[in-house]
Amino acid sequence: MATFILHINQTSREVDVDPQMPLLWVIRDFLGLTGTKYGCGIAQCGACTVHLDGKAVRSCSIPMSAVGAKNITTIEGLSPNGQHALQRAWQQEDVPQCGYCQAGQIMTAAAFLEQQPHPTDDDITRAMSGNLCRCGTYLRIHAAIKRAASQTTTP
Amino acid sequence: MKRRDFIRTSALAGGGLLLSFHAMARYIDGKPVATDSDVLGDYVKITPQGDVLFQFVKHEMGQGVSTAMAQILAEELCADWERVKIEFPMADKKFEHDTGGSCTMIYQWDRLRLAGAVARQMLVEAAARQWNTPAANCYAAHHEVINKTTSQRLGFGALASAAGKLAPPPEATLKDKRDFQIIGQPKPAKLIPDIVTGQLKYGIDVNVPGMLYAVIARCPVFKGQLKGFDATNALKVKGVKKVFTTKPIAGLQLESPYMPHDIREGVVVVADSFWAARKGRDLLKIEWDEGPNAKYNTEDFEALAAEHALHRTDPTGYTGDENAVADVGHVRKTLRASYVFPHQIHACMEPLNCTAHSHPDGCELWLGTQAPHLIVFELNRVFRFAEDKIKIHLLPSGGGFGRRYYPDMAVEAAFISKEAGHVPVKMIWTREDDHLHNLGHLFQHLEYQVGLDKDNKLYAWYEKEIRTYTWGAKYADPQLPFMGYNIPNIRYDFEDMIQQELVQSSAWRGVVGHGRFYHECFIDEIAADQKIDPYQFRLSLLRNDDVYVGDPIPVSGSRLRRVLTLAAEKAKWGKALPAGQGMGMAVCIYGGSYVAVIAEVTVRDHQLRVDKVTIGVDCGKVINPSGTSNQITGGIVWSLTALFYGGLPIKNGRAVYSNFHQNKLLRMNECPAMEVHFVETDEERPGGVGEISSALGVPAVLNAIFAATGKRIRKVPLRADAFA
Repeated sequence: MATFILHINQTSREVDVDPQMPLLWVIRDFLGLTGTKYGCGIAQCGACTVHLDGKAVRSCSIPMSAVGAKNITTIEGLSPNGQHALQRAWQQEDVPQCGYCQAGQIMTAAAFLEQQPHPTDDDITRAMSGNLCRCGTYLRIHAAIKRAASQTTTP
Repeated sequence: MKRRDFIRTSALAGGGLLLSFHAMARYIDGKPVATDSDVLGDYVKITPQGDVLFQFVKHEMGQGVSTAMAQILAEELCADWERVKIEFPMADKKFEHDTGGSCTMIYQWDRLRLAGAVARQMLVEAAARQWNTPAANCYAAHHEVINKTTSQRLGFGALASAAGKLAPPPEATLKDKRDFQIIGQPKPAKLIPDIVTGQLKYGIDVNVPGMLYAVIARCPVFKGQLKGFDATNALKVKGVKKVFTTKPIAGLQLESPYMPHDIREGVVVVADSFWAARKGRDLLKIEWDEGPNAKYNTEDFEALAAEHALHRTDPTGYTGDENAVADVGHVRKTLRASYVFPHQIHACMEPLNCTAHSHPDGCELWLGTQAPHLIVFELNRVFRFAEDKIKIHLLPSGGGFGRRYYPDMAVEAAFISKEAGHVPVKMIWTREDDHLHNLGHLFQHLEYQVGLDKDNKLYAWYEKEIRTYTWGAKYADPQLPFMGYNIPNIRYDFEDMIQQELVQSSAWRGVVGHGRFYHECFIDEIAADQKIDPYQFRLSLLRNDDVYVGDPIPVSGSRLRRVLTLAAEKAKWGKALPAGQGMGMAVCIYGGSYVAVIAEVTVRDHQLRVDKVTIGVDCGKVINPSGTSNQITGGIVWSLTALFYGGLPIKNGRAVYSNFHQNKLLRMNECPAMEVHFVETDEERPGGVGEISSALGVPAVLNAIFAATGKRIRKVPLRADAFA
């Protein structure tokens, strides 16, 4: 066991956990932020995606010891009131079915749009092909990202 | 029975209206019919603040029924859609929770309309009394009751408490469908705001104070047993509390009504975190007796099934002459084919889980389940808990697909909580557990034979199905092929191979349709043999009337024809395509709805790409076109996963693939363009939509592959060398 200070969603939290424990389980079981989901545990499905210093990462495959002082953002901290352009677009395009993978989809998309605010269709597909959706909502995820991107200001 | 006998209302604590149905109400020929046998339950609460709280007793697993059901209720209630909220009540014996088989909308339509209409009339009555005017002088609109004479208005919230004290009206008048403002609208799903902010709680997200975590090391071989285990190293992991076996609850559960299932023998690790439990499990030393399946492989089983398929059994059903295919006086040409749909994994994105807190005489549970009643039945059977001592918190789930119909996870969790000392325990299946020793989708082998007469007309159709699951029944239902083709002699044979199977079978999205709709491929084969365009061939064979196949819902030839024609027109069937490209079609009825799928594919450089899928749908009254389209396109993705990556191969009794790196699912870069088109229809009632396309993508694409390459593929998944 070891003590860690986590910088998460603009606050600091202290936890005493096994340094090998993946960030995912610390977020879910010790900080009570259950919006980040367990899907596969081997970085194949993307349900556990969070941001580490703004980069999308698979939290199931990052041990606590590797997190350090980086800033963590989870779906709960993506926007103060749930009104991120992607969250609104997800509503407008009526994207989710069961919804379980969607936090991971949105977190992947949010980091991607930060890097590439005006993506082509192929860019979106390439960025999102690491995230699984068993319900098969891919076309709507794609449409929602396109919609959100079109609403950001053109440079 | 009078309406007031089965609708009860009561005042909500703190004011407001609570409308309950204590028996099923169903309109037949405009007359309500009530029975005591199945009940939807407490439908709706209206608070003094004006919130309409829809008590959603079905299971939401992504099929969208929480929104669609709320739309029907809100429509009849004349509620403001934005004020309608969905609540998940506790499981209750009197509720009809059971969710599966694409049945929800079919059976809830009448009840929800009636509930909305009754509540609306009570609000109107309450307003009328307040204004001292006849109720006929008032009407409800947009969350208010309005006085026709004075134009006075009272909101639903202001009326709710007074309405809650009234007796329900003897008759309820349903709205005219021309006045619908919510039904038929593409309303985004009600749960989206909670989903996109990470606030929606699934079963796996539950937190019960003092809760421990558990994982189970289950026997890797079906019907294998635990010989012994050494937990010394596991118990050294910090946080690991207890290690014990699940032997007392394990084994094949054949007494479970309609839903035989399997609980594998195993060893449980209980710890203060999921991670410690999992780490402990990795350190267990376990010896298994792998039992009768230790040397069994998928190829062995499939070879056995192919052998059984060649033998005639007694027909489950037939029309015309049961021996017509063997009638040499009529049959001039015979065509044969065998098709295989192997076992599949469910791979719900939310891994199976259940949180349980057992007490000496009962249990409290938290999970997403399609069948709470089965859980109550099993907990009563296994632990002798009285029914009223079993409390189940119902949560939405991250995919159900038939897997969450089975109660095994609840039995496991209740047992673990009990053995751990009656403390609350969250038991989670890891993704590896999900893939390695889970219930699988049933296996199907279809053996077809047809006889053509001297004019090359289809004279006799013979079909034998081998299947590994029957819900405890002796034979398949329906008892004839589920198709609307006009063939004078049709025979269907059925044989189960439940005793010989390698994994415990279960239901999957699309259930038996996956194997049985292979007839759409065989129809294509006959068309090709006759050198007739597959679309024209189908049109020439489709009936214009309804055919009963042994199922309560008849197959309508004319509705099949309409969806097929619509899809063909929208997909531009028959257009010229370059070499290596092709189109294929398939059409079926499922859950009372009709669907035609046309796939457009390219086979190039030994690779298949599904370019576009066009879908024609007649699901009767469309409650929500957006949610419905989402289900239908999602079903195609489901079927393409089965086509490209499906199967559950077993070697020496053990599943070969352990996680998504091996059991692949279709990804965005492989997802075809899709279009959904609805038939214009005057149908008054909705059909099911969650499963209608999921079993039809495969036959449509296989037919398209034939059109593109001349190659017939009769088994999924596609082999790596399929186009070598």
